Amino acid sequence: MLCRACKKKEATVFLKLAVNSKVVEMHLCGDCAPYAADGSFGGLDIEPMNMAGQGGGACAFFKEFLPRDKRALSCPACGLAYHEFKDSGRLGCAGCYESFAPQLSELLTRIHGNCRHTGKRCGPTAGAPAPERTRGAARASSSVLRQALKKAVENEDFERAAELRDRIRKLEGHG
Amino acid sequence: MARVTDSFRPCVTWANSGGKWPDMIFSTRVRLARNISGFEFPGRARPDALGRLRDGALEAARSTRLFTRGHYIRTAALTGPEKNFLIERHHISHGLAAAERAGAVVVNNDENLSVMINEEDHLRLQSVEAGFSIEAAFERVDRLDDELGRMLPYAFGEKFGFLTACPTNAGTGMRVSCLVHLPALSRSGQMPKLLENLSRLGMTARGIYGEGTCVIGDFFQISNAVSMGRSESELCDGLDRTVSNLMRLEITAREKLAAPRVRLKTEDGVFRAYGLLKNARTLSYGEFMQNISLVRMGVAMGYPIRTDFSTLNQFTLLMQPAHLEAMSGRRLEPEERDAARAEYIRKNLP
Repeated sequence: MLCRACKKKEATVFLKLAVNSKVVEMHLCGDCAPYAADGSFGGLDIEPMNMAGQGGGACAFFKEFLPRDKRALSCPACGLAYHEFKDSGRLGCAGCYESFAPQLSELLTRIHGNCRHTGKRCGPTAGAPAPERTRGAARASSSVLRQALKKAVENEDFERAAELRDRIRKLEGHG
Repeated sequence: MARVTDSFRPCVTWANSGGKWPDMIFSTRVRLARNISGFEFPGRARPDALGRLRDGALEAARSTRLFTRGHYIRTAALTGPEKNFLIERHHISHGLAAAERAGAVVVNNDENLSVMINEEDHLRLQSVEAGFSIEAAFERVDRLDDELGRMLPYAFGEKFGFLTACPTNAGTGMRVSCLVHLPALSRSGQMPKLLENLSRLGMTARGIYGEGTCVIGDFFQISNAVSMGRSESELCDGLDRTVSNLMRLEITAREKLAAPRVRLKTEDGVFRAYGLLKNARTLSYGEFMQNISLVRMGVAMGYPIRTDFSTLNQFTLLMQPAHLEAMSGRRLEPEERDAARAEYIRKNLP
């Protein structure tokens, strides 16, 4: 049986959903199934597809039963889907490294023969503070740091946010 | 309006010959890829975010003492010929020239240190030295990296190191390369096998303008293909060993070309090339590079041609199409360029 959504691949998943007192049954292929479950699927004209409003629980539950490479992985920070990365070879943001960590570990090992950085380190402990800093530099970096802080808060990365807040305070002479 | 090309000197110091094996090694480059935490990578970020990032990075570069006297160029303000000039000068990539986003480049006055902004990664720091000078090139770019890193929050992870748009650059974000001239090895037919061996060593060979460019005039850019799991000094040492081995192989191949059996043929090839360059009325860049490559090898092998490697290096730089246009001060049709190139070489090749 062909997948009801793409009508190209063999259906390997039988999906039965009960939403708003209606039961919907679908035969889907592994590629289309995750999209059907999370409501991001435009090709089907049936109401229960809109699962986003149901808290996405069905989607998460459903994905657990899919083979790892068929799950609709995406980066919560920038929205890049893993299949987009596979097509373009380019990641969307630094957060992608965390979002796709298992896949990237495998890929990086293939590319570099290793997936652990052993070189120069970066961060507050990496180097001594600059001996002197011009006002222009302080302004430039504080605006960039503020943007980074906003992003860290959005991503609920509070440890990073606290670190950035301290750096901004120090830079602006409050710390 | 003043053209960007007018603000650059015609010659650059890194094209002078210097260091060990000046007859075979043109220059050494080190580049570091860096991204700023909190901003999506340039290929995915919104234009307004990239504009803010560009302005912040320009301000940060301005405040380092390394760019006190330098060129601050926004790519949106550049004309096609100006972009081509900066590509030929290795200050920007084809990618940055083509990208329709808030890009910029900062180049110091000596043109041996630069930062590309919003190319594939937010920042691409680069230093270049004449000849075989891996350590000096690394030290300069590392100093710039330290200075910028104090002002800009780099995207860095404990496990994966410096986080880059393409995973092939992650880890150190470093590519260290030497532009080498291998005419004898190219003629010996050993290159395909050698290139295969390079890839086994985690090294790669590219054309004169880097990734995706073809080999012209027997110039190869040898660099590390691997950037993670090895420290910066290990990567530098690896390139040092690889290039040194290649130099020994090139010397052996040149000795074979000087052997009594083939000597006359080699000499004939070199002097034919010299004669062509001294007499041609039109010269395409490809033809020029092919022949100057043989002349360069002839000079290295001690043939009586009264020129030096600095002169030949500068020719290689100045005879590129956009450089010729910059010298003539106007847009040239391809035929006009070929005629201008032939005329310049006739007058200036000793």
